[in-house]
Amino acid sequence: MMEEPLRVGSFDEDVFDRSRRIGWLDLDSIADADVMVVGAGALGNEVCKDLALSGFRKITVVDMDHVVGSNLNRCLFFSAEDAGRGAKKAEVVAQGISRISRSATPLARVCRIEEVPASVFEQQDVIMGCLDNIRARIHTNSHSYAAGKPYVDGAMEGFIGKAFVSLPPEGACLQCGMNRTHAKVAEKRFSCTGKDVVFHEPRLAAEITTTSIVSAVMVREVLKIVSGRRDMCLSNGFFYDGQRNVAEEFEIPRDPSCSVHVWPG
Amino acid sequence: MSVRIKVKNAETGATVEMELEVENTVDEVIESAATFWSKDMGAYVLRKGKKVLKGSGSLKDAGIRADDVLELIPDPEGG
Repeated sequence: MMEEPLRVGSFDEDVFDRSRRIGWLDLDSIADADVMVVGAGALGNEVCKDLALSGFRKITVVDMDHVVGSNLNRCLFFSAEDAGRGAKKAEVVAQGISRISRSATPLARVCRIEEVPASVFEQQDVIMGCLDNIRARIHTNSHSYAAGKPYVDGAMEGFIGKAFVSLPPEGACLQCGMNRTHAKVAEKRFSCTGKDVVFHEPRLAAEITTTSIVSAVMVREVLKIVSGRRDMCLSNGFFYDGQRNVAEEFEIPRDPSCSVHVWPG
Repeated sequence: MSVRIKVKNAETGATVEMELEVENTVDEVIESAATFWSKDMGAYVLRKGKKVLKGSGSLKDAGIRADDVLELIPDPEGG
């Protein structure tokens, strides 16, 4: 088959021309990959923006919550109008993805991650955790691992940020790095409500610059995974402290006694 | 057998010297250090070099020796 003839200015008409100049990026695989973003808050907004601009099309956004005014200092896709009408975060983010990528076909799931069937996890190429509580992270991590799907988690508080990459069936999962302090926090959140609705007290500090850095690291790891370059992935964590100007890799070793790894089958 | 180690507070750079039994767990070290620095309720991990230490494991299991410097880092929860 003959190649398209070169035309003057053609490099500037191709949306992904600059991406194509990164040799290892597999743009076809990126366009074809199914990515589920769990959580449509600050990280979810930034992650979805980066995914869409990077060429991902099939993005599922999961969130049960609605937009409020205090989200607006760090959430690109949310507006005061969305907050005023209590719009669902997942739907607003999905609409935002469509605005910045005409080829994207985002799907909003307005529900808790615990309500998403295991079969949906199995359909994904990568799952991304943009959550705001440990319990939902544990659920998403374990279900991703059980489905054999890479899980990329991000979290932040103030100027502290973290990203983590799990690549089943090898290596550690997010839960391998948890300890008694995580259990206490998870229990506190649960006992605050008496039901499966998270209630943060005190509210956690959050601002956009740390959100941008963590989400960028997360999406970059997904680009590597989908492009078949797991060899370049973090092994397996990234820690960021914007107040001390620290950005470094850390490693969570696999814990053979972790409940995710001792599940039968 | 007891060992004397240093724990560094990643958020401030401060260090505290701790005298511990090798049977003490990493969880116990985390909670003691977090209490010493009056840390907010939250999740923390302890690492030696790049590696995060298993909470329920003992210092002996983790290969901790006298004069080691461990770092207490916050594990953020927000999204």
